Amino acid sequence: MKKYLLTLFLILVLTPAAWAAGAQYVMRVDGLACPYCAYGVEKKFKAIEGVKKLDVDLDKGIVTVDVEDGVEFTDEQMKKLFEDSGFTFRSMTRKDLE
Amino acid sequence: MKRIVISMLASLLLVEVAAAHDPVFGLGPHTLFKDGYEISPQLHSAKRGNAVQNELGLELVYGLTGNWSAGVEIPLSLVADAGAASGGLGDISVFTKWRFWRNDMPGAQESAALLFKLIGDTGDDTRSPALGTGTTDGIVGLAWGYESRRWYRWASLRYRQNGTDANGLQRGDMMRLDLVGGIRLKQTGYLEPDMVWLLELNGEYGRRARLNGVEVANSGGTQWFVSPGIFWTYRNFAIKAGVQIPIYDDLNGNQQASDYRALMVFEWHN
Repeated sequence: MKKYLLTLFLILVLTPAAWAAGAQYVMRVDGLACPYCAYGVEKKFKAIEGVKKLDVDLDKGIVTVDVEDGVEFTDEQMKKLFEDSGFTFRSMTRKDLE
Repeated sequence: MKRIVISMLASLLLVEVAAAHDPVFGLGPHTLFKDGYEISPQLHSAKRGNAVQNELGLELVYGLTGNWSAGVEIPLSLVADAGAASGGLGDISVFTKWRFWRNDMPGAQESAALLFKLIGDTGDDTRSPALGTGTTDGIVGLAWGYESRRWYRWASLRYRQNGTDANGLQRGDMMRLDLVGGIRLKQTGYLEPDMVWLLELNGEYGRRARLNGVEVANSGGTQWFVSPGIFWTYRNFAIKAGVQIPIYDDLNGNQQASDYRALMVFEWHN
């Protein structure tokens, strides 16, 4: 019995999902030209529970958002968020953070 | 005559919505993000001959959508003319700006907007010098802008229709044309202070004023200004400043042209 419990424990602990410290979304956004104007994007993301970190690369038009485990973004949600901020959402990729 | 000059000076000083990352004197197409609010204390100063007007304005803007904002401007004026001075509340105005077209590109944005502004007659026009125009005026404006990480370009056209005051004076309607260029010499990162240098060409054409239906000979005409300015920002705080330097005037009759106009805006949005 102890052997089974130990095996189960090791499986849970060593599974990548169990180690995941959330996820990182990398979004391509058009229209970002100045930091002052992009502040609205930051405000919108910070109002979402579970958003840990945000970075805006103006030169590349990339917004990177780190979120806690369990927080999921959809394309529709991001289209609306960026439209409300005055920009155009193009695409995003997601990866688990370790 | 002096009353007409002061009345016209008061109407010239007010800036039509100095919102966001737009020109200092011209009109730009920027609006505020949805549910955002902006607070902008502003210092205006203008001199024409012996008439000097200083104004402390407070502009409040709210973002109704990502492309539509509305706000109010509350000016406190101090007007001096040949030894006499008045101070107090000027003409309060309400405005709305709608960005009806936007073309977003990687690191750049091109857009166009319409502006509507209504200027009330809250300033006391019975004081000498008058603090307001004594009329309700309207402004409609069209603005286009292109901004990238390095270059900025704007063009705008505004038309101001002036009402008639209790004494039968109607200041002439005014047309404004603004052409503006800007450059960001150093492309800074998102969390760093940012500076854009601006150079504006501001043209104004005013029709003759009418007093009880009769044209006032010494009123109206054309003026052009060159206006260097800056736009400095850090995070959600901005300082805009500029000076309008007259370079050409063709004013009707015997009128003194503007000596200068200056504007400094502190802007904070959240």
